[in-house]
Amino acid sequence: MIELKDIVVRFGDFEALHNINVEVKEGEFFTFLGPSGCGKTTTLRTITGFIDPAGGTVNVNGQDITHVPIEKRNIGIVFQSYALFPTMTVYDNIAFGLKIRKLKKAEVDQKVREIARKVDLTDEQLQKAVSQLSGGQQQRVAIARALVTGPAIICMDEPLSNLDAKLRVQLRNELKKMQRDFGITTIYVTHDQEEALTLSDRIAVFNKGFIEQIGTPNEIYNHSATEFVCNFIGDINALPAEVTEKMGLAKDEKHFIRLERIRVNQPAIAGECCVPGVVKDYEYYGLYIKYHVDVNGTILKAVEKNDGVHLYRQGEKVSLALSAADVMSYPA
Amino acid sequence: MQKAKPSWRSPGMIWKVFGTAFFVYLFFGFMLLPCLNTLAQIFTTRDAAGNIDPLAVIRFFLAGNMPRFLWNSLKLALCLVVTVNVVGISIVLLTEYFDIKGAKVLRIGYMTTLVYSGVALVTGYLFLYDSDGILTTWLKGIFPDMNPSWFTGFNAVLFTMTFACTSNHCLFLRNAIRGIDYNTVEAARNMGAKPFKVLLKVVFPTLIPTLFSLTVMTFITGLCAMSAPTLLGYDSINPEIVRLAGSSVADEAFPQARAALLSVILALFTIILLNILTAYERKGHYLSVSKTKAKLVKQKITNPVANALAHIYAYVLFVIYMTPVVMIVLFAFQNYPAIRSKTLSFDQFTLINFFGQQDYEFLTNRGKLRTRVGSISGLFSNADTVGSIRLSFVLSAIAAALACVIVVVAVNYIFRNKGKKRATVLEYSLLFPWLLPTILICYSYRTYFNTDTVWYVFNTNLYYRENVQFLIIMAYTVVKLPFALRMIKAAFYAIDEELEDAARNLGASSLVSFLRVKLPIVLPSVLAVFALNFNALFTEYDMSATFHSSYGKSYAMVIQNMCFEEGRDGYNVNASGRRCASTVFIMVISALILYLVYGVGARDLGERLEARAKWKRRFAAWRGKLPGGKPADKANAA
Repeated sequence: MIELKDIVVRFGDFEALHNINVEVKEGEFFTFLGPSGCGKTTTLRTITGFIDPAGGTVNVNGQDITHVPIEKRNIGIVFQSYALFPTMTVYDNIAFGLKIRKLKKAEVDQKVREIARKVDLTDEQLQKAVSQLSGGQQQRVAIARALVTGPAIICMDEPLSNLDAKLRVQLRNELKKMQRDFGITTIYVTHDQEEALTLSDRIAVFNKGFIEQIGTPNEIYNHSATEFVCNFIGDINALPAEVTEKMGLAKDEKHFIRLERIRVNQPAIAGECCVPGVVKDYEYYGLYIKYHVDVNGTILKAVEKNDGVHLYRQGEKVSLALSAADVMSYPA
Repeated sequence: MQKAKPSWRSPGMIWKVFGTAFFVYLFFGFMLLPCLNTLAQIFTTRDAAGNIDPLAVIRFFLAGNMPRFLWNSLKLALCLVVTVNVVGISIVLLTEYFDIKGAKVLRIGYMTTLVYSGVALVTGYLFLYDSDGILTTWLKGIFPDMNPSWFTGFNAVLFTMTFACTSNHCLFLRNAIRGIDYNTVEAARNMGAKPFKVLLKVVFPTLIPTLFSLTVMTFITGLCAMSAPTLLGYDSINPEIVRLAGSSVADEAFPQARAALLSVILALFTIILLNILTAYERKGHYLSVSKTKAKLVKQKITNPVANALAHIYAYVLFVIYMTPVVMIVLFAFQNYPAIRSKTLSFDQFTLINFFGQQDYEFLTNRGKLRTRVGSISGLFSNADTVGSIRLSFVLSAIAAALACVIVVVAVNYIFRNKGKKRATVLEYSLLFPWLLPTILICYSYRTYFNTDTVWYVFNTNLYYRENVQFLIIMAYTVVKLPFALRMIKAAFYAIDEELEDAARNLGASSLVSFLRVKLPIVLPSVLAVFALNFNALFTEYDMSATFHSSYGKSYAMVIQNMCFEEGRDGYNVNASGRRCASTVFIMVISALILYLVYGVGARDLGERLEARAKWKRRFAAWRGKLPGGKPADKANAA
């Protein structure tokens, strides 16, 4: 569907993207994930045509669109700020692209109302100014505006980043449902790992203008290809030498383990290794409890389900059970 | 796929070439060359033998009385800095910081200068304090030996300008005080600081950047003062430049070169001061670090004596601000005998100062009763006044619109080419007139275009007959470009860059996305700039005085004439009445513009839709009350 081949983007002397290669399949929810300034938005803007790459090609359905003008690419965008036109009503915002294409008034009206129904916008809301809508409603307008012209692909540039935590979770689910209903190929940019893991079919993790790993959320989380991906996605423990020695891991490598793979005060099962420690602190989240355990001067974090019975307080001695199978190792 | 290079014949390229040519023409033709010509005039003076003597004017300057004008202007500017800041800070503190009873009414009084300024204000003060003014007449009744011409010269100019120049304090210092985080005041009080200490150590330091800007602007205003010194008789630079510009070599030594020298000296002062201001602004002091600002709570003055004194001071200032306004409004509706005798009476109420004509009967020196037909005429019935209003209206509207169009096009280009040299060059060239005093630009136009040898204006003498109107439009436009640029650029900054991207992504071309997305967003600001520029130009005095001729007689000049021509030979008998009516008319126009700009214009689409819905509901309710009308709820349901 979309193929980026050896994309290079330069801003003056600075090379923002180095030979980016990505293939996105039809109907897929594909996420560009990475920290600020890693090149994910630059890649998205290259696909949409706002940035001309210094090298490489952008192909959609086998057709080279690298130098096709923005307005002729047929790619919809939902911007970080939604970029809704403040001087137009909701209706006019959605109808903008259709009017530019010089569709007949009746056709415009029919299409606008149809898409508005699909994204749960009422007729009354259509007549409002965008400033009169809530954050969630604005997001739906932005999606409707991007979809109404019938694009082959929709690109979303951190569309949830301006919202509060509760609304973000709620809209995340709506977004996923809408994408499934429309069945449209979606490229999503975010720096939020949780968002990427919950929404995506596949994820590309960016770092300093390179792609570190492309994979499903499970591959990215449990089988991180590089130390950067391992550290960037979720919380992680770097294991100290004495623990890795005890576990019989290679000495010339760095070893990491996810928090939920460490079990607190539970009998070791086959292949597991136990290390003693002292609870330094704990964070009570309700659903689970995060312990900070001092293991000979190194703090290891562990997450335990809150069973309402066990709660280990500061100073309490505990044992941590770890399995070598859960450890991710990278060259030192 | 290879990206196609734009052709030389493409519409985009044609626009680019046309635009570049226009801005080059505007900058060189109407900014740089006329001013350079003025500079050259100083050093190309010829002596009696016809030889060029480059230093003749400088020698004349040092030996003659020219430094007096410079010193007078400097003295006025320095004194104004003190008096305007004292009054300006006082009125803002009294209405915004201290708990003074009746602060809302006081604020209205202090803010009258926003709708009543310039030549209208000076003539208003004259109406009160002139030798036959209301107050002077009243004082003469009490002190028969007093000098009736007491309101003249330096003191009169300083007094008038002090109260005329506090508008900026009302706007900017007020905003600065309102922006103070009240938690900082509470924190200081909590640590044991007394109210005066808090004001001095916590509040004032945050106001210093604003006060510094206001001080520099006040200094420049004082230095370039024109209407007050002219009308109140004070020898400062600007009136002297205008006088010299109209003088001839037959009357005095190289008047044009002297005018040029004074203009350039003024320009040097302005450039130095604006550079100081810009350098200071770049430092960016005292930014609030507060994430959640608390609204300022007015401070009670706990000492009863200090509280009483503060109230007395506030109301004395209020009386000074309001008396001319009230008197002028009241006398605008009084007939000629009432104005002449300075007595108010309901019996003498009339609209003749605004509309209609009346005959005037008077006794000649030989004791004969004579009648001049139509000698008493209203503001809108007097051919001279109506003609000047129409001219000022048209010239101001054209210039204000032209400045907006030029700046909108330029700013759009500047934003599209952000960080590129050509955008910076364009921006600085449009800011160029800001560095020069208005009088220098006008004087330069007057002398440079007063020949038929300037090729790029098709060898037309632009100061000749009706051509002067074009010259006035150009001067008005050029002088207003920097203000328009600063305001409209700020409006463009507020546009989310993603909006244009969104429009382009939805299929709009650059031109369509500019016209349909960006322009509607900045339009309220552009219209506000248009309205404010129009308002300032409509009664503008400095430029009008420089270009004054029978073909370019603007409204301000007619107002000025109203101060002098009263009752002369039985003509223009009610000039004072028309002057009052003029001021009322200007106040109404200014108030309307301010309401449109800051009231209606500041609303976004949501607020406008809500207001429309509210009016619809009210209309429906009103129809419901009418006999036979639909009940409100049914109308809504319908």
